[in-house]
Amino acid sequence: MTAGTLADRDREQAVPAFRHPRRPVAVLAVSCLVAAVLALPLVFLLIEAQGAGVSEVAHLIFRPLTGTLLWNTVRLTVAVTVACAVIGTAAAWCVERTDLPGRRAWAVLVVVPLAIPDFVVSFGWNSLWTWAHGFRGAVIVMTLAVYPLVYLPVAASLRSADPGQEEVARSLGSGRLRTFARITLGQAKGAILGGCLLVALVLLAEYGAFEIVGYQTFTTEIFTEFNGYSFAASCALSLVLVLLSLLILAGEGMLRGRGLISRSGPLTQRISPPQRLGRARWPVLILFAALVLLALGVPVGSAVYWMVDGLPPALSGGANVSLLNAAGHTALYGGAAGALATVMAFPVALLAIRHSGRMRHFLERSTYLVLGMPGVVIAFALSYFTEKYAAGFGYGTWVLLVACYAIMFFPLALVGVKASLARAPVSLDEVARSLGQRRLAVLLRVTVRLAGPGLVAAFCLVFLSAVTELTATLLLIPTGTQTLATQFWAYESNLSYSQAAPFALVMIIVAAVPSYVLGRFFNRPVQAQG
Amino acid sequence: MRQVAVAGLYKAFGAHAVLTGVDLEVPAGSLTAILGPSGSGKTTLLRLLAGFEHADAGTIQIGDTLVDGPGVYVAPERRRIGYVPQEGSLFPHLSVEANVGFGLSARERRGGRAASMLELVGLAGLGKRYPHQLSGGQQQRVALARALAIEPAVVLLDEPFASLDAHLRASVRADVQEIFRRAGTTAVLVTHDQDEALSVADRVAALRDGKIAQYAAPEDLYRRPVDAELATFVGEANLLEGVLNGTVVKTVLGNLPMDSAATALGAAGQVTVLIRPEQIELAAEDGVAGRVTSYGYHGHDAVVRVQPDHAPDDRTIVVRIVGGHYLPVGAPVSLRAHGPVFAWPRD
Repeated sequence: MTAGTLADRDREQAVPAFRHPRRPVAVLAVSCLVAAVLALPLVFLLIEAQGAGVSEVAHLIFRPLTGTLLWNTVRLTVAVTVACAVIGTAAAWCVERTDLPGRRAWAVLVVVPLAIPDFVVSFGWNSLWTWAHGFRGAVIVMTLAVYPLVYLPVAASLRSADPGQEEVARSLGSGRLRTFARITLGQAKGAILGGCLLVALVLLAEYGAFEIVGYQTFTTEIFTEFNGYSFAASCALSLVLVLLSLLILAGEGMLRGRGLISRSGPLTQRISPPQRLGRARWPVLILFAALVLLALGVPVGSAVYWMVDGLPPALSGGANVSLLNAAGHTALYGGAAGALATVMAFPVALLAIRHSGRMRHFLERSTYLVLGMPGVVIAFALSYFTEKYAAGFGYGTWVLLVACYAIMFFPLALVGVKASLARAPVSLDEVARSLGQRRLAVLLRVTVRLAGPGLVAAFCLVFLSAVTELTATLLLIPTGTQTLATQFWAYESNLSYSQAAPFALVMIIVAAVPSYVLGRFFNRPVQAQG
Repeated sequence: MRQVAVAGLYKAFGAHAVLTGVDLEVPAGSLTAILGPSGSGKTTLLRLLAGFEHADAGTIQIGDTLVDGPGVYVAPERRRIGYVPQEGSLFPHLSVEANVGFGLSARERRGGRAASMLELVGLAGLGKRYPHQLSGGQQQRVALARALAIEPAVVLLDEPFASLDAHLRASVRADVQEIFRRAGTTAVLVTHDQDEALSVADRVAALRDGKIAQYAAPEDLYRRPVDAELATFVGEANLLEGVLNGTVVKTVLGNLPMDSAATALGAAGQVTVLIRPEQIELAAEDGVAGRVTSYGYHGHDAVVRVQPDHAPDDRTIVVRIVGGHYLPVGAPVSLRAHGPVFAWPRD
């Protein structure tokens, strides 16, 4: 190699004179665009509220109904979030850090309930026992349906945390319990809070499950009002809901505090020897069995029960065709939404992981806001904007529905993509660039390849959620088409349990595949890196 | 001929100035070590050379091309630099062969260049393995092969041996030196370990306070550092007061011949004399009498501190002895120094 060839190369390429090209202008621009799209529902609400007039909106907000809804929503959110935090963290600790028999099997079984749509869990309990109703029913159903959202991140963080810290604490005379409280919980704090944030936001936006158990929250009321075309009222309620999400986001941010976002290096992976459960082993095993029975056994069992109960009519030829048809549509819409959301999340995640800064942090967190937004608001916002500014483009077709899914579940995709990008260290990018690769080539040959499994996980998260989405689907689905969720809902609303049951089961099966992939992704040990 | 030329390089992160005017000319085909304590800015200098950071002022030339300077910035991928980061940073999703061939065109890859590079670094036949199946030293050599494969204008190594076990370090160092000698490639490595810098490099640039304090061959740097502070940084040093008279300097260890390179001193005057511990031996008799104050055993040698009986102050003299016997504290010894010694004017 000589200096001559270097000079030749540069002459050929006529080096443009740039200073500071490291500022990620393109990524920042795309991220801002994504954030703008995500802000559409909020803009829609503000436009509608302004149309109705401030006094009207104030009147609609300050009425007794709002107080009831607020009380219902808040107490449910607090109860379920706390329950999920306890169950999810305890289960994760037992699976990851103790000598619980059958740890690997439990690790899969406790995650599977994520694949069961909330409203199917609700249907399972409510159709079997009449006492599973109202607040009590809602707490039981939602806790069992969403606790994996806490379990997954906590298990992942416990697995990657440095066991040396616990050992040091023990050596300094801190007992088992104190070590657990001060070190282990501290290590998992970020993951627990992140999981709780998801749980709380999911609760704010849930509709189907509450409708079945007959529990009234903001979202169920908003849906009812929207369906009755009282836009002003539903917008006013939605604004209160958005405020509630903001409070939750701010609260989580405050609890998280500063400096907790540290990542442990991939080279410091060491498996800690499992803690011995000793005499507690059998009670813990029984608790695990009970958890799986309640979260998995009840909904699946009740669906099977109702299907067997009504076997002859449910399996007639016509029903089968509609089942296949609905499953096909479900998979198509979910797949498209998963791909779209993952692509949208990539630049934002890149910004969040690779670059720091207040603005970027804000951009990333603001995208969480849509999680707490009811699907019906997002659906109405999309149809409003396409009608007004895009000449109704995509209205009544599946394009709009997929776009709606992608917006709704963007934060989930972001979580997955961020986790995966953390596995692709910047130093590898630098090496690739020093080897003569342009930025885009580096992105495709290194970053995306390393992030690959995580991108699949992000896709699966969105797919899973889209398959079980109900309200936006009911509003935006092309006329004459049915998905598994809408068809199930139609039958369930008519109390045709035995006809609804097969759709619930197929939904569980369709959702089980991505959940399995997700479980694998979060269970995978961090690969040792060069 | 020089391969890398840095002039007046300035770089600050916020209010913290890291490099404050670095000048350095690296000859083609040489292996240069940039030596500095942690936080001295040596990694920043390397990253500026690679193009991962931008200089605030000053110029960098690689070969004949200006790659960083007023209004000029060449992206890393166009500089033809082979970059070897501290942990080697192999691509975990690619085989060893694909790692080495990463920067090559499809044609070059088919031509078997990766295999010949692996042969160069002594890892022939391991091409199908994956990074996690290699030892730390092997990973480091693959990273080197990957950098050399693109026929770089210069290879940049960031603390390449720091992540290796002590017993591996010496052998990998020797291997790397040999690989560079055979490839004839210009290389710049940064390190905080003076032992490493002196043993691996042809030339060592000592970085201090954001500037190059001295750029010289290892022996020059060790024997003739520009000042007393640098002398203690590159190795253990006895700094004694002395009186220069012609070519001889009078110290507490007797009259010693001056290094002929110490020309800035004039003919006579007060000087600070540098005597390395291995320039002193424990003699049987007619040396300078003293008593042992500490004895540090290192296996291959031992470091003895001696308080001379008739000294102007209570500073001890450090002596490095090879193959000596244990000396208890307080044991009487006799010191004899060997010139030539180096000195600076004392003020």
